[in-house]
Amino acid sequence: MPSSTRTVFSLIIINKAGGLIYQREYQAGLRSLSTNDYLVLAGTFHGVHAITRSITPKLPVAQTSPALTSPGGSAPVGFSYPNPGVPASGLEHLETEKFRLTCFQTLTGTKFLLFTDPMTGNVDTIMNKIYELYADYVMKNPFYQLEMPVRCEAFDRHLGAWLRGRT
Amino acid sequence: MAAPPRHSAMLSVSNAVGTPQSGSSDKSQTAQPPSTPQPTQGLRVPSNRKTIYDRHLNRSRNAELSRASFAYLFAEMVTYAQRRVTGIQDLEKRLNEQGYPLGLRLLDLLFYRTTTTSSSALSSSSTSSSPPNRPLRILTLLHLIHGPLWRLLFGRSADALEHSVSPDTPNEYMITDNDPLVNTYISVPREMNQLNCAAFVAGIIEGVCDGCGFEAKVSAHNQPTEMWPSRTVFLLGFGESVMEREKVLERAGIK
Amino acid sequence: MSYYFTILSPTDTPIFNIAFGTSKGGGDGIARFRFPDTAQYMNQFIIHSSLDIVEEAQWTNGGMYLKHIDTYPPAAAYISAFLTPSGARFLLLHQPPQLPNSGSGSGLGSSSLLGSSGNLARGSTSSIAANPTSPQTEEAVRQFMTEVYENYVKTAMSPFYKQGMEIRSPVFRTRVNAAGKKWL
Repeated sequence: MPSSTRTVFSLIIINKAGGLIYQREYQAGLRSLSTNDYLVLAGTFHGVHAITRSITPKLPVAQTSPALTSPGGSAPVGFSYPNPGVPASGLEHLETEKFRLTCFQTLTGTKFLLFTDPMTGNVDTIMNKIYELYADYVMKNPFYQLEMPVRCEAFDRHLGAWLRGRT
Repeated sequence: MAAPPRHSAMLSVSNAVGTPQSGSSDKSQTAQPPSTPQPTQGLRVPSNRKTIYDRHLNRSRNAELSRASFAYLFAEMVTYAQRRVTGIQDLEKRLNEQGYPLGLRLLDLLFYRTTTTSSSALSSSSTSSSPPNRPLRILTLLHLIHGPLWRLLFGRSADALEHSVSPDTPNEYMITDNDPLVNTYISVPREMNQLNCAAFVAGIIEGVCDGCGFEAKVSAHNQPTEMWPSRTVFLLGFGESVMEREKVLERAGIK
Repeated sequence: MSYYFTILSPTDTPIFNIAFGTSKGGGDGIARFRFPDTAQYMNQFIIHSSLDIVEEAQWTNGGMYLKHIDTYPPAAAYISAFLTPSGARFLLLHQPPQLPNSGSGSGLGSSSLLGSSGNLARGSTSSIAANPTSPQTEEAVRQFMTEVYENYVKTAMSPFYKQGMEIRSPVFRTRVNAAGKKWL
């Protein structure tokens, strides 16, 4: 398998206020930005993500809802998202010829942005593992302050080792 | 029950709460077996009438605990200890103090459990069970910590046990743990790199040593290696009185 | 046989006291000591005076149950000791009933560990009451101590109990009483 199919270029973590809290590069292939540009990227993406989420169409609840059995004809005027049960998620992928950006938002509003090669498969698996490592080594660390930049040596170490191990 | 005055006086000396012959059974609790607690002393018994004395101590022997819940609990303990501390040493001291009473308790539990596993039932005859001995010498104590205590706490033995090579400090011993459970998810910020949160475990060890009558100071130190980035050495320094007694016991040939 | 049982913390503070009598051989479980009413403190006095011997034996005998360690002949009081690993001492004073033919108890504390078999024939009954140093008594006391130890560990594991605190739980007291009834 050519190595390009499993390449992870870099990872960005954005807190729920749109601030950049983590940025690491794992493989060369993208041009580096200055720290300031990364901050701008994080803020911009946060705004774009919010807009994409709010323009998600809302579908009125169909008449064949289970409300038929409920007493009273005044069924609440509800709506659902195209994929019922899943809240609007906003922008999930952004693809160019050279890279693909995958965004994953946690329930608390933290966003993980993963830059991979467009050919990389199983990005969901990678994202899940990153989220798991984040939950373990960042959220269980008593010295990590919520919403602040992530400076957890164990997180760096385990994430780096795992990404190296799978490439 | 015509008791002579002498014994009724004795009962008052012994502060006999709830003894069946003390006359309290005359109170409206009629059909109670004598062993049940009588709710007259402000004691609130759970609705199923089971107090901690009715639970078997070995019940949770092989129970497993969620690693995540421990990690969150320990993280909160560290955060709690971190409030209004003056420095790293102060923080380590507080963590140590949190562990100390745990060591005292674990000591009794550890011995109780080793007693009851060597004999299946507590009330079996003495021939089948040989209760473990209390540690009298430093080395027995260290083996107790290195083996059984570590297994009770972390499910495995510690990784190394060494005596200080320096002739100036014959009272110092080292127990090494390559990957302490308490530090699994902890990354200490660079500005506090002296800190090791396993000071909590050091406190437990200190409690065990003190409980056994070996006055000691225990501290946790970072000794990372390439392979084991969170390798921790627990340094045990025994007090002078312990070393003196050790010499006497050695002469007496007591093991 | 009358018993006085005390738990002392590692710093020699009494944290639990109870007096009871034998329930074996038709005993009613009521303590009848030979001291006059005005001298009930003698029990505590005798028990505390044996602490020196406990502390000596503590470092030569690694067992938890130290057996019969001391005798106070004037009152025919025998002391048995049990040490928990965390340093609490369980001390049991037992005083045999005064038999009309025998005076105060024979046998000094020092000879107790070896001379127990010699006393076997002396008692009119083979029950533990008559022979404070017989193997049967030692075994019964050991069983009693072990049972109390189990309950002591449960007390010590309570998050509201700190080492050295007085044990106030009425449940604990009932349990010790039951252990006394069962074994002694």
